[in-house]
Amino acid sequence: MKRELGMLGALVVICLVLFLSNADFLGQSNAVNTLRQIAMLGIYAIGSGFVIIAGGIDLSVGSVVGLTGVIIARISSQATGGGGHSLALGVIVALGVALLVGLLQGLLITRLQLQPFIVTLAGMLLIRGVSQTIVQGGTLSLGSSPLLGLANGGLFKVNGDPLLPYPLLIFLGVIAIGSYVLHYTVLGRYVYAIGGNREAAAYSGINVRGVETTTYVVSAGLAGVAGVCYAAYIGQMSQQVGVAYELYAIAAVVLGGCSLRGGEGTILGIVIGSTMMRVIDNGINMFQLRYKDADGIRRLWRLDPNWTFIIVGAVILIAVVLDQVVHIVQAARRVRAGAPAAAGPPPAPPTTA
Amino acid sequence: MEAPDGGAPGATPDLLVMRGIGKRFAGVTALSNVSITARPGEVLALMGENGAGKSTLMKILGGVQPPDGGEIRIDGEAVTFDGVGAARARKIVLIHQELMLAPNLDIASNVFLGSEGRGLLAPLARGQAREKTKALLARVGLDQSPTTLVGALSVGQRQMVEIARALSVSARIIVMDEPTASLSADESQRLFTIIRQLRADGVAIIYISHRMEEVLELSDRIAVLRDGRNAGELTRQEATTDKIVALMVGRELTGGYFPPRPEPDPTRETLLEVKDLMVPGAPAGVSFNLRRGEILGFAGLVGAGRTELAQTIFGVTPAGGGVMRLDGKPFAPRRPRDAINRGVYLAPEDRKRHGLVLPMSVAENTSLPAVGSYNAWGWLDRKTERKVARAEVTRMATKTPTIDTAVATLSGGNQQKVVLGKWLAMKPRVLILDEPTRGIDVGARAEIYRHVAALAAQGIAILMISSDLEEVMGLSDRVAVMRERRLVGIVERAALSAERLGAMMTTSVEKAA
Repeated sequence: MKRELGMLGALVVICLVLFLSNADFLGQSNAVNTLRQIAMLGIYAIGSGFVIIAGGIDLSVGSVVGLTGVIIARISSQATGGGGHSLALGVIVALGVALLVGLLQGLLITRLQLQPFIVTLAGMLLIRGVSQTIVQGGTLSLGSSPLLGLANGGLFKVNGDPLLPYPLLIFLGVIAIGSYVLHYTVLGRYVYAIGGNREAAAYSGINVRGVETTTYVVSAGLAGVAGVCYAAYIGQMSQQVGVAYELYAIAAVVLGGCSLRGGEGTILGIVIGSTMMRVIDNGINMFQLRYKDADGIRRLWRLDPNWTFIIVGAVILIAVVLDQVVHIVQAARRVRAGAPAAAGPPPAPPTTA
Repeated sequence: MEAPDGGAPGATPDLLVMRGIGKRFAGVTALSNVSITARPGEVLALMGENGAGKSTLMKILGGVQPPDGGEIRIDGEAVTFDGVGAARARKIVLIHQELMLAPNLDIASNVFLGSEGRGLLAPLARGQAREKTKALLARVGLDQSPTTLVGALSVGQRQMVEIARALSVSARIIVMDEPTASLSADESQRLFTIIRQLRADGVAIIYISHRMEEVLELSDRIAVLRDGRNAGELTRQEATTDKIVALMVGRELTGGYFPPRPEPDPTRETLLEVKDLMVPGAPAGVSFNLRRGEILGFAGLVGAGRTELAQTIFGVTPAGGGVMRLDGKPFAPRRPRDAINRGVYLAPEDRKRHGLVLPMSVAENTSLPAVGSYNAWGWLDRKTERKVARAEVTRMATKTPTIDTAVATLSGGNQQKVVLGKWLAMKPRVLILDEPTRGIDVGARAEIYRHVAALAAQGIAILMISSDLEEVMGLSDRVAVMRERRLVGIVERAALSAERLGAMMTTSVEKAA
């Protein structure tokens, strides 16, 4: 919880600084748009979180996001290249394919004991290629599909624009269900146990393979849900949609306090991590400093948008470095206090053979 | 130290003197004031039970770990090693029991790994390394090309590569930790030939082994450690199996340490019947009966196949044949869940690896195998979890600040109590304890013993694997002895003696009493 509180504090400070530098940061248009971005990232980041907390990794997330939209456009779009079928059919098939992808990857990883990194890397490339083939290397328009209303519509309209866009509502639903499953069910407990010590979980009679497979299904399924939102938001599906999203998801999950070793992290943390990612993204555009130049003319200093990746990368590094420093200091303090260290050498005299 | 056999004192100067060596690990004393000497052209056998400190002592000699106290002298000169490289520079080479070779590289690359000479970016002198390796392989009698991948060699052949590696740095002291543990009889004989040859060349060999025959056959002197101290030293002339075992186990088997146990009752009904059970990888089936309320000890050396047997009964590695019956009904677990559903539980040897999820709390670890059955809907019933955890912490008298404390921060004894508590909460019928007191200090041991005795008194059948003879003899109603993955016999309590068990574990095959 401490990690989450620290990140939340940092987030509040960043928001405050951005607001003071540019009041538009919390203006309706920018705020709602940022919330929508946070929501769409958060949905699939929570899916990635399930996999990472169980000690795995899913690199196919971004490709699944892209494929979902492409399938919907291919089946349901009234425009050229679309199948002209009902929107419901397209969405159902797309989500079904996403779940199937997760199931297949999960089965490959758990039954054949393949490394998740390799399986999902192959999945990432393969699915990207499928999307590319479906769109024939170009774009597939959703036309004037009612789906577009999903991204732009919402509740509580002010000046014709909603305060609560639908993706945010979906995100809140995912948060609620995700929190319930991860923190209030036996399945969630097993996810943590497997991430903490896979073998001890197996020795406790837990169906390790089943639970692990489930995490990959959850990840791909939520990537599918996010994919539907992105399709509605973008409207033009090309092979480029979703590229590198899996890395944003991993970054958000790690920023939120999950360890890639597994066994650590919370839904709240992932939500904070996703928010952090998007606020920084948005803040790079919004941040400005007023100053007078040598001639006394008022000017605005802005961040170079080319710095976006530099700043995002630096923030992630700073977060993990701080976290590790805290760990090392705590471990040193424990050793000095004489208690056995958490992950230190076994207290047993080494077994002689 | 007394003189080597035959020679007058001081005839051969000591090559190595380790004096007053001490070492502690996180509060547990591994070595206390241990001294040994080694002379050129001598085989010194280092013996002792598991955990006696042999490996720790040799790791200190090899520069793997620094000692907390004491001195090491080479040729009379005091030295300190701040790493394996420093020890190697003094011509000391440690051959670990788990061979430290890279299976993906060829023999020549392994022999010269870390001593390629020149800089990191200098071209590898492959041809030269191969030539030298060829000569070294000839010396150890390994008929293989230097370009053969180590991964393609048998364990015995790899042992030869390790020795060639030691010879490549002209080692003066070679430490071998259980070199024959996984060798065939043939390979062992070849190894002995090479050891004798090294001895003739003036190399000092420190030989760690549990096997009496080979120790008596090979060594010039035998030093015995017990509980991290010198227990005594014997020359080849005076050494006998009995004398060595007596030094190893110690004469004074302390009374009162173990809780009183009722007389074994052979009329009690059998709870678990094991017949010709084939543990994967074992040469023969294992048969025994476990009675209700009985503590059946399993003695043997490390690698005797006891842990593997436990894992097969618990369903971790399903049996390759044979039958088990629990309460007269067939029992054939294919996974731990099958065993758990029948009330057969395992408290594994490696608590940190198999027994506990270290970052999780005491409560979460206690509930782990049962939490799915607290209710039918799959939600997490923390109320029941906490109630159960509190009850088990009370029953076991586990010392933990709260039940929400991460088990990683508990001592070994308290961690073991959490492992036991998690199974006791599920009403065990058969409880398999694999090395239940490993890494646990004396006070907590006595407590664990009391709990184990109390569980047996409740009618739970207990199968207790232990490498601590005192513990096995102090608690068990009967003791099964395993050697080289076979069950060599079962001894009734009345017939138990350390010498007898020691002999069965190491040498002759004895039939069940």
